[in-house]
Amino acid sequence: MKNFYFLFVIIGSISVAAQDHAMHDMDAHDHEGHLHDTMVDGKLLEVDPERFDAFVLNLKDKQVAIISVSGMVCDFCARGIEKTFTRDKSVLKVDVDLSGGKVLIAYGKEKNIDFEEIKMKIMSNGQNATDLQIIKI
Amino acid sequence: MGIKFPIFSLLLIMLCQLEARPISYSGGSTLMMISNEMQDSTYYHYSPTYKFSIGIQHVKDKYFNSDYSYLRLTYLINRKNTQHSQRNLYFQSGISSNGMDHYFYGTHGDWETRRLFLGFSYKNTKTKRQDYSEQYLQVGVAPYIGEYGDLHTWLMLKSKKNGLTGNWDTYPVLKLFKGNALIELGYSDSSQWDVHLMYRF
Repeated sequence: MKNFYFLFVIIGSISVAAQDHAMHDMDAHDHEGHLHDTMVDGKLLEVDPERFDAFVLNLKDKQVAIISVSGMVCDFCARGIEKTFTRDKSVLKVDVDLSGGKVLIAYGKEKNIDFEEIKMKIMSNGQNATDLQIIKI
Repeated sequence: MGIKFPIFSLLLIMLCQLEARPISYSGGSTLMMISNEMQDSTYYHYSPTYKFSIGIQHVKDKYFNSDYSYLRLTYLINRKNTQHSQRNLYFQSGISSNGMDHYFYGTHGDWETRRLFLGFSYKNTKTKRQDYSEQYLQVGVAPYIGEYGDLHTWLMLKSKKNGLTGNWDTYPVLKLFKGNALIELGYSDSSQWDVHLMYRF
């Protein structure tokens, strides 16, 4: 049993060190290669520009909802969210940015995007929607 | 027969236990298969909401040399989502086809980021022959951070104890998942292979 606890402490130490590294990665990710100069409703927009450009390619006169999601830590979480929104007929396109914790959803320009409705959908998957930004393209 | 039979056999063996993510998203179904020194089992569950799942598990019990099924209920007691992590605590239970005096209950918990995983489980089983408990701790590190849709890899260490065998057993586990499928492979000299497969749909 002592060996087990010793092993657990060692693994725990390695894990904490790895987490520090991961957090550093995330911090660096937040400050490199993102659209910090784009303002939406007075907020800074943080979306990977290449990802966003690829998403809006061939979209015209549409709206893109950028949803910040907490608890989206694995592919299974992301897949559930994607399936949930894909079932919505008003949704034209969905993209999940697992690294950035963002979900991009394209709607028609006539769609009244309701953050409460989006929160409910994300919650039905077990995650939390914490922020919404809407971009008209 | 050639190479097809071993591959098919391996896939069949992999269709076994997997306690990770015991509840799916609302309306989601999950098929799991488990094979270890104590049992081979197949477990299907459906999640009406993200809060609980109901399912059926068929068990080929190697220790007692018997076959039976469990009607299972798993309930999410608590979940904490943060920007980079998720923590879960579940209640797990099952009633056997052998009768009302054969059932189990316990807890299962995990905390994970995209880099780290910590999990534990404690299960108490009552049977006509003998009561026993099972418990495990599992820690893991992802050697790289994959994007959505990539093959995700986890290097893990699992330590488990079964009341019937008595000793703690610690061994490495490799977890791979891509898309809707997940595979866990563990091996130790004492308990041999510990294989889990999960498919979510």
